[in-house]
Amino acid sequence: MASFWCLDSVMNALSRHFSKLPVELIFWIGALIGILFIDPYGPNHFTLCPLDNLGFDWCPGCGLGRSMSLLTKGDFKASWSMHPLAMFAFVVIVLRIIQLIRNNKTTRNHG
Amino acid sequence: MANVLRHLPELEGMELGYIQGIMKDMDDEQASFFANVYRARRKDNQMILILCLIGFVGFAGLHRFILGQIGLGILYLLTAGLCFIGTIVDLVNYKSLAYEYNIKIAHETLNMMNFNRG
Repeated sequence: MASFWCLDSVMNALSRHFSKLPVELIFWIGALIGILFIDPYGPNHFTLCPLDNLGFDWCPGCGLGRSMSLLTKGDFKASWSMHPLAMFAFVVIVLRIIQLIRNNKTTRNHG
Repeated sequence: MANVLRHLPELEGMELGYIQGIMKDMDDEQASFFANVYRARRKDNQMILILCLIGFVGFAGLHRFILGQIGLGILYLLTAGLCFIGTIVDLVNYKSLAYEYNIKIAHETLNMMNFNRG
């Protein structure tokens, strides 16, 4: 019984911690910073993608990160041929980051 | 002096605290009107969770559409939830997604009520 109580209090502390942290904001900013560090011209790259790690060759998101990385280096043509959604993804993510920062001021204090 | 639990017993957590802050200055009639409108418009966080889980069988981003974030919805749908990573992140913070949307709805409702009154 004692161990169950311990687990419960740990879970509570974790969830309280998570509810305070703006998880989504950290995720999007982390994603953009990660994309800046990609080398799009390298032959093979480290990937977090579960599909790729399972051995699937193709998914609709493949190349998006490299495409966005090419965009930051100004190589528009290569970026478009890698994945045409890169510009759209940039715009949407930046708008979302702005929205989240605004929300943080208004929704985090009760009443 | 309306109590939020009397009018909206299904709320929990941060949302409960926030709505109590909004309702504490209302009388009973205003509070029940607010509760009716708000209940009809808010999104349940379990629905967000379930729509998010559908992302694992091929239709990612439905929860983003439902929350009015059309751009991110399209991005998730066309990239299988950013290779599942976006879907997994949203599984972790589905509650704050729903909370964010519901707070917006609460303020919309409040504005309409004040508009009607005077």
